[in-house]
Amino acid sequence: MSAPLILLPGDEVLRDHLPSNNSNPLKLGPGLRLLSQPSSKSKAGNHVLTATQAGLVTTDAKRNTVSILSFSNRRYIPTVNDLVIAQIHHSSIDYFHCMVTPHTAHALLGQLSFEGATKKTRPMLKQGELVYARVLSIGVGAGAEVELTCVNPATGKSEPGGLGPLVGGMVFDVSTGMAARLLRASSSSSEQSDTIDGLTVVSELGKKLESLGGFELAVGRNGKVWVDCSNAGDSAIKATIAIGRCLQTTDEKNLNPADQKKLVTRTLREMNLAS
Amino acid sequence: MVGPTASLSNLSRADGSASFKCPTTGCSVLGSVNAPIELPARRDALKPEEATVEVFVKPGNTTAGVGERYVEGILRTMLQKVILGRERGFARRGVVITLAIIGGDAVERGDSYLTLLPALLQTALLALLSAAVPMSMTFSTALLAVTKSGDIISDPSPVDAKTASSLHVLAFSSKGHLLLNESQGRFDFDTWEFVRERAYSTCRGAVVAGSDGDIAMDEEGEEGRADGFIRETVEDHLHRDYAWKIDSA
Repeated sequence: MSAPLILLPGDEVLRDHLPSNNSNPLKLGPGLRLLSQPSSKSKAGNHVLTATQAGLVTTDAKRNTVSILSFSNRRYIPTVNDLVIAQIHHSSIDYFHCMVTPHTAHALLGQLSFEGATKKTRPMLKQGELVYARVLSIGVGAGAEVELTCVNPATGKSEPGGLGPLVGGMVFDVSTGMAARLLRASSSSSEQSDTIDGLTVVSELGKKLESLGGFELAVGRNGKVWVDCSNAGDSAIKATIAIGRCLQTTDEKNLNPADQKKLVTRTLREMNLAS
Repeated sequence: MVGPTASLSNLSRADGSASFKCPTTGCSVLGSVNAPIELPARRDALKPEEATVEVFVKPGNTTAGVGERYVEGILRTMLQKVILGRERGFARRGVVITLAIIGGDAVERGDSYLTLLPALLQTALLALLSAAVPMSMTFSTALLAVTKSGDIISDPSPVDAKTASSLHVLAFSSKGHLLLNESQGRFDFDTWEFVRERAYSTCRGAVVAGSDGDIAMDEEGEEGRADGFIRETVEDHLHRDYAWKIDSA
């Protein structure tokens, strides 16, 4: 297509950068707004899309969306339907009070919003334990409470799979941009290619650690990655650390796929995990 | 001449940060932005539909005093116009901008703060961009001094600024509006008009006689130094961040 388009606030999105699919209306993602310019010639005026954040314009021709990818280290702001990893701070009668991001008000997770939970059988989570949850609502205005859930309220199942308490494992912090990338990589069908969004580190780790029994990852949009390698027996701790280190280094140094492979090999050798 | 240098997202804990070094005055500023954050203690002072912008300026060697309060006021009124405080998630929350002067000559009490104002404004803008705070437009600033003989110098050195008969700081938005005009000293309207033209050309390149605010997008080649500098810094950083995406496309 055309060259990557980087916009600053106030810049217009040119028409030839927009997806040319006319069947359904164009959807605007974050960082863009529609302004109408009153023009003297026609009464209707013409509409322009302008950026409100600095970032790279990305378009999705299939879903007919256009949005702006901003800097990757920005703070996480809860949005409905995001998957997050939350830590229980304390529990009250109806709710678990969870920390999603530091220095913000606690998010609420209903005591019964787990798969198959009833008054009698519900998870007794203690302070510091982790849950993988979905953002249910974010409230209106300042001071509003963010509510999380581990089930789909319509079906009563934990959808998508894996929501609920995270037992064992360890959490690593990554940038929110990296978390979004990891989630996108896992949602697009993983088998078709090794590199999605320039990330080979996960598939590479998967190959190398297969002999140890593999590992589990949970990625929260709030910049947390939970790694569990409990199948690996004695080297479980080493493998967990190695995976976390690989992900964090890839994030910090912005490695390209070839360097990611090298990093995985080097880290595993340093940890005496190379098979 | 050496241009200014800047880098983005230096601080890991702030939502957005930037550092900026101005070669002529020798001052370097580190700025951080936290937004949107709750300001629970100010619930009565908050406007119901808008974000509250707070600016703090910290001098390197002393505590903040009257001069800093004054310049904070200038920065706040100007940035409030540019930040879209009504975007979702920003109403009744705070945008807190902290600017620390970490190098260069300190401003003595009673000295002019105008020499530092452009650097503070540029840092604030870069930090806001890095924090992805929604803004309606960007801006660029120019510092000009008029000497006793009536010459206009852009980016005067501290010595020039001290001896100048008047000092002017002007900021132009990316659409060409005059956003800020701070002047001090003795000057007349004609001088100010020359200063404005000169500032416009340092900020935005070609002089466009326009009040319509409608400037075509495709004149990027002839963009001015100050404007182009912000864009380059941001583009460089984004290119590095999204190298994986840009390379694969």
